[in-house]
Amino acid sequence: MAELNYAYYPGCASQAITKESNETTRRVSELLDIGLHDMPRANCCGAGLITDYSYELSLALNARIFAQAEAMGMDIMTICSTCLMVMNTANRDLKNDPALLKEINKIIGDVGLKYSGGVNIKQLLWVLAEDYGLERLKKKIKKPINWLKVAPFYGCHSLRPSDALGFDDPEKPWSLEATISALGGEVVEYGGKTKCCGFQVDLVAEDTAVEMTGTRLLDAKANGADCMVTPCPFCHINLDNYQGMAEKKLSQKISMPVFHLSQLVGLALGLDADQLGLGRHLVSPEGILKGT
Amino acid sequence: MKVKFKIRRCDPIRTGRCEPYLQAYTVEVTEGMTVLEALIEIAAGEDPTLAFRKSCRSAICGSCAMTINGFPKLSCNTQVLPEWRKRGEMLIEPLRNHPVLKDLIVDQTPFWKKMDKVTPYLTPKDEGPAEKCYLISRQEARMIDRSQKCIMCGCCNAACNSLDIDSNFIAPAASAKAWRFVGDVREGQLRKRLERLSDEHGVWDCVRCIHCTQYCPKDVAPLEAIERLRSRAMAEGVMENEGAIHVSALVDSVKRVGRLDEAAMTFKTLGFLRSLGMIPFGLKMEIHGKMPHPIIFPAIEGIDEVKKIYEVVEKRAKKRRKKKKRG
Repeated sequence: MAELNYAYYPGCASQAITKESNETTRRVSELLDIGLHDMPRANCCGAGLITDYSYELSLALNARIFAQAEAMGMDIMTICSTCLMVMNTANRDLKNDPALLKEINKIIGDVGLKYSGGVNIKQLLWVLAEDYGLERLKKKIKKPINWLKVAPFYGCHSLRPSDALGFDDPEKPWSLEATISALGGEVVEYGGKTKCCGFQVDLVAEDTAVEMTGTRLLDAKANGADCMVTPCPFCHINLDNYQGMAEKKLSQKISMPVFHLSQLVGLALGLDADQLGLGRHLVSPEGILKGT
Repeated sequence: MKVKFKIRRCDPIRTGRCEPYLQAYTVEVTEGMTVLEALIEIAAGEDPTLAFRKSCRSAICGSCAMTINGFPKLSCNTQVLPEWRKRGEMLIEPLRNHPVLKDLIVDQTPFWKKMDKVTPYLTPKDEGPAEKCYLISRQEARMIDRSQKCIMCGCCNAACNSLDIDSNFIAPAASAKAWRFVGDVREGQLRKRLERLSDEHGVWDCVRCIHCTQYCPKDVAPLEAIERLRSRAMAEGVMENEGAIHVSALVDSVKRVGRLDEAAMTFKTLGFLRSLGMIPFGLKMEIHGKMPHPIIFPAIEGIDEVKKIYEVVEKRAKKRRKKKKRG
């Protein structure tokens, strides 16, 4: 058994539309000897949308996930910022309010489950930056990405609400920048790195979503980025898949390749474009990978 | 300790244009000194032309909100030295998403216009029982507690990512105020309010960036208010908008297969005609292997447990509604 073990919760998006993120995370974890243990019974966290419908349902569904991890005796690791935020928010409320935890346990008790509040929820970024350690990561690197200027894009739900997440500082975040540096890349600073990609309103207010995505991409580009990296699959959907729409709406060519965090790590660990699933991106990173 | 303040200034009233420039001031700062106190010192000594709003100096009036090192804060409850130590600079700018009148003073007219739009007062069903006033239970009051704490400082709107792109967006401050009345058991115009709030640029246009809740200095948690407004709108059957349809599509998807079925959700949210418009995009996605299979979408293991949880939660909600009606 590996030294670090997690109940692995890739999230819905990374099992379908951005499955390259899930596949690369598995490869990278194997190379780093991080044990990922599947949760085939895990349900969707609700992505915040079920909170809009019924907070009680959202809490119960999340408690069902936590109960499974608790039975496995492991903390959860996800590769989706929205899952991270939704699960940590639910966990905060359940841990802070014993009466609420009791009520929710009544609901999941009907299907024979119980959650006692003992699970922590992390994401790959935190696992690398804290549990695994960036010094240790550096030692595993085969091909430092020292020719790349990388713009970090956290995604809202990796940083806020900070009282629920309890990791990093939304005003002066460090974990993604430090990871890029550890991989050998040059960090590009720009104002949009802690802002929103617009994903949540893609289907509801498309104009807002597309313009927001384009604004972030252009911001990174104006500051000299060759590419962007994000720990969140939803941010990736907007920054990559919606980039064409953003170019049209803002009448500007952007051509900004966007990596999942696992892909950037995998690149430095020596995985090739196929193993990283780069062919699945709509904006091809081919041009900037020539140095490899 | 001497700290350099960089302040973004402009004087559109005098010059007719807002051409912001940075001006630096050095202030002798002591432990515990607030940003507002430093500004007062600058205005009292070095530069009496520096303009900023202030009143209570105790985080109650909401006048002195500004952008401190990139984020909206009340200058009266932000100490200089912790900021300085953390960020290595002191950059003071007017609130974002608001037009600037002069230096750090912003025009609050758009803020108040949004407030007006949500009818920021109670429109009760009736006068209440003649012999005694309305009695509200502690639990009912607690539902709107957080929204009542708003001091109208504008920090949430300044941080709002949706408002930054769409100036017509209702934005967090007015949403929290709307919940103050929608969540009030005495309110009589529930349905009308929720229909208006569900219109274009309404609460469903929030991108859930969580800046509002993060930067509210009074713990109003506007996003929570937006979520409650959305829940209430759906419970009242206000479903004629893409936001509510989108949410109910996910609620159905999770009940059916335990997870998010992207193809089905897109189709349900956009409807048949707008889905047709997505075909070129869908083809591009298909080429890159990104199209989720539109028909076969296997359920998670233990889907019966999920279905049972839905059932139990629905039963509980029904019971609560009945109790409320009787009460």
